[in-house]
Amino acid sequence: MTPLSGLRVADFTVHAAGPFCTHMLSQLGAEVIKVETALRPDIFRKSHAVYGRKGPATFDQVSSNKLSVRLNLKHPDGIALAKRLVAVSDVAAESFRAGVMERLGLSYDDLRAARPDIVMVSVSSSGQTGPESHFAGYAPLFGAWGGLGHLSGHADGPPVEMRHVMDHSVGMNAALATMAALLQRRRTGRGCHVDVAAREVASSLVGDALVAASAGITVERMGNGDLRRAPHGLYPTRDPDRWLAIAVANDAQWCALAMLMDQADLASDPRYATETARHANSATLDPLIANWSRQSTGEQLAASLQSAGIPAHLSWAASDIVSDPHLRARGAILDVTETGGATRAAVGRVARFSGDDTPGITQGTPTLGGAESYVYGELLGLSDTDISALVADRAIY
Amino acid sequence: MTAPKPLAGIRVVERATGVAAAQAGRLMCLMGAEVIMAEPPGGSPLRQEPPLLPGSDSALFTFLATGKRSVTCDLDQPDDRAAFDTLLASADLLIDDTALADRARAGLDQARISQRHPHIVHLSVLPFGAYGPKADWLGEELTLVHAGGEGFLLPNGLSADLFPDRPPLKIAGHFAQMQGGVAAAFTGLSALWAGGGQYVDASVQDANVAVGAFAIQRFGDGSVEHRLTRSFRFGGVIECSDGYVELLTLEERQWQGLVKLLEADDWAADPDLADAVGRSARGDEINRRIRDWASHRKVADLVAAAQELGVPMARYNDAAQVLSGAQETARGIFHEVAASGGTVKVQSLPFRFDPDALPVDCPAPAPGADQSLLEEPAQRRASA
Repeated sequence: MTPLSGLRVADFTVHAAGPFCTHMLSQLGAEVIKVETALRPDIFRKSHAVYGRKGPATFDQVSSNKLSVRLNLKHPDGIALAKRLVAVSDVAAESFRAGVMERLGLSYDDLRAARPDIVMVSVSSSGQTGPESHFAGYAPLFGAWGGLGHLSGHADGPPVEMRHVMDHSVGMNAALATMAALLQRRRTGRGCHVDVAAREVASSLVGDALVAASAGITVERMGNGDLRRAPHGLYPTRDPDRWLAIAVANDAQWCALAMLMDQADLASDPRYATETARHANSATLDPLIANWSRQSTGEQLAASLQSAGIPAHLSWAASDIVSDPHLRARGAILDVTETGGATRAAVGRVARFSGDDTPGITQGTPTLGGAESYVYGELLGLSDTDISALVADRAIY
Repeated sequence: MTAPKPLAGIRVVERATGVAAAQAGRLMCLMGAEVIMAEPPGGSPLRQEPPLLPGSDSALFTFLATGKRSVTCDLDQPDDRAAFDTLLASADLLIDDTALADRARAGLDQARISQRHPHIVHLSVLPFGAYGPKADWLGEELTLVHAGGEGFLLPNGLSADLFPDRPPLKIAGHFAQMQGGVAAAFTGLSALWAGGGQYVDASVQDANVAVGAFAIQRFGDGSVEHRLTRSFRFGGVIECSDGYVELLTLEERQWQGLVKLLEADDWAADPDLADAVGRSARGDEINRRIRDWASHRKVADLVAAAQELGVPMARYNDAAQVLSGAQETARGIFHEVAASGGTVKVQSLPFRFDPDALPVDCPAPAPGADQSLLEEPAQRRASA
C-alpha cells in the first residue's frame, strides 16, 4: 500500500511551487483533485512565451497523477461546490496571493466550517501576514528576497537568479509541513492552517550564512569556492562543455588524487600538503588539476576518482539524467505514457520505501475537467442533472 | 502557555555526519520532535565546519543543531552498542547517513535494524541513496548540485552574459544537501503516517533531480536546457545605482505595469509588442532599455514603484538586509540563540502552523550533553 493511500487533497494551487507540493503528495499515493477553470487556466497549463516557446512549462510533470475538475470560483455555486469538495478532503492546498482565498469566501475559517479538522496549506511568496504579504513574486524574486540570490554567483560578478528549483524546493517544504500537520491532526484531532512563505524557504537555505552574519562575520559570493575544501571546483575534460566537479574534503583524498594524477610529489609539496595550504594556494593548484583533467573524458575521470575515494561528478545535463541507470533503478526517473500515447521521461519519487515500490507516477497529464463524473458524481453525490445544470450555469466551467 | 508543536511526542535518533541528514533532523526537531544526536566520540564532524563563530562554534552546526539533544557513543564498543539499541527501542525514527560500507560493522545495516527494531522508521540519507549502481559513491555539496542537473544550468541571466566562458556555478551554501534533508524529512514523516516500521532510502541526488524537474520535462519536449540560453528574454537580474533587483513579468497585466513604470509610451503603441511572443523576440532590445533605465535609479525607489504597479520586482537582499527586513521582522522568523561568543540569530522554519513562527529557543548542545538518555530503561514511546 502506498504511504499516503487514503489521503485526499483538494488542490487549488497554481503555477509551480504549490502544484509541486501536491505533486509530491500524489507521488506517495494521495488522491489529489486539481481544481481548474477554463476562465483562467493555470498559467503553467498555458503557453509560456517568456521562455521563448509556445508549449507549457512544468505542467505535465506536476499535474501527472492528479484528477482534474473544472470549478468557477467566481460563481457562488462554484464556491459552494468547493466547500463540498473540502468537506470530503483531508487537505486543502492553495497558492494564491495572501488574501485571495478570503475574498473568494474560502478562508481557513470558511473551510473549517466545511470540515472542522481540515489541514489548509497556503503557499505564497512572503507568507500570509506582514507588510509585504501582498507582494507578487516568482522563484527568482524569492531567491532575491531571501538572500540566496545575493550569495550565489562569482565573487567578481552579480547575484544569480534562482529558477524552478526554487519553486520546487518551496513545494517540497510545503509537502513536509503538510505531513507534520496531518500527524498533529491524527494525535490531537485538530486541523490547522499551514502558512508557507517562499522567501523564507530561500533564506532558510542559507540559514548558516545568516547565523554567521548575525555574529558579525562577512558572508559574500564565492563562486564555486568552499571555505575549507581544496581543490574544489569545476574542471575541464577532453570534451567541450563537459565539466567535472571535484571536491577534495581532506588530506587523505588529496593524497589519493595526487597518486591518481601520477604526481605523488604534490601530496608532500608544502604548498599543498595541508588543507589550509591548498586553500591558500588554490590559484596555482587549480591549473594543475585542469591540465590533468582535460586529458580524459569526464566519465572516465569521475569513475576513477570515485574508485580512489574522491568525491567527483560530471556536471550533468538533463540528457545525462534521463538515461542514467542508477536513477532509473531507483525510480527517481521513470517513463510516463500520456493520454495521447506519447512517452516521456519524468521525475519519480524522491525516496524508496521498503513497504511499497509503486512507481511515483501512474497516470499522465489530466485533461481539463477529466475527473468530474468521479468527483462530482461519486464523491459528492451530484446527479447527472445537477452537474449539467451547474455546467450550463458556468459554475462548473 | 506555548501550544504543543506538530511533532510533539515523536522521538528521533540521528546519526549525521553530513548536512542532509542533519537538516532532516533539524526540520523534525523544530516541529517538536525530540531529536537525539548520537555522535561519535569527539562529536559530529559538522561541529568543525566553517565559518566558525567567535568562540569557535560552527555557524553551520549551530544552525542545524539548535534544540537537539546529544549523546556520544562508539558503536564499535559493545556497551555503547547496547545502550544505543536501548535508545532505538524508545525511538520512532532513526536518521542515518553512515556510508553503506560501514553500516554492518556499526550494526546499522537495514537487515539488523529491521530485525532488532521492527517498529522503527529507518530513514537512510545518502548522497546517491542506498540502492543502485552508484549507492557507494561519495558526494559533497559541489558534486551533488551537479549530479542533480541544476549546476549545469547556472549561472544564467546577467552573470552568464558577463562570463560566458566560465564553468558552471553552484548555488550558495548547501543548497543540494538541504534539498536532500527536506525530501528525507518529508518521506520519513510519510512513512510514520503509513504506520509500522519500514526502511526509507532517501537520496540527495534524487531530491535534486526532483526539484530540477523542469529541465527533465523540457528534455521530454525535445530540448536540452543550457545556462547560456535559458535566460528570461527580458528582465532578470538588473543593476541599479546602489544594488541589484530581480524583475520578472509573466502575465499581460504585469507587462502593462512595466510599460507604465518605464513610461514607455512607444512600447504601448508598438503592435509588435502587443503579445508575449513578439516581446520575447525583441527581448534583447527591451532588456537593454530596462538596464539603462535602472542603472540611474535606486533599488528602494524602483521596487516600491514596481510593486505599486503590480510589477513583480524584488531587491537582492544581502545577509544583513534579510536579517533586518521589515517582512522578516514582522513575521518574527529570526530568533536569538546562545552560541559561543554571544547570541546569534537563527531562522525558524519557513512554514508555520499557527500565526506565530515555530520557536527556536535552545542552543546547540555540547557533545554528550544528554548522556543520561543512554541510561534510561527501554520504553516504547507513544508512536505517531
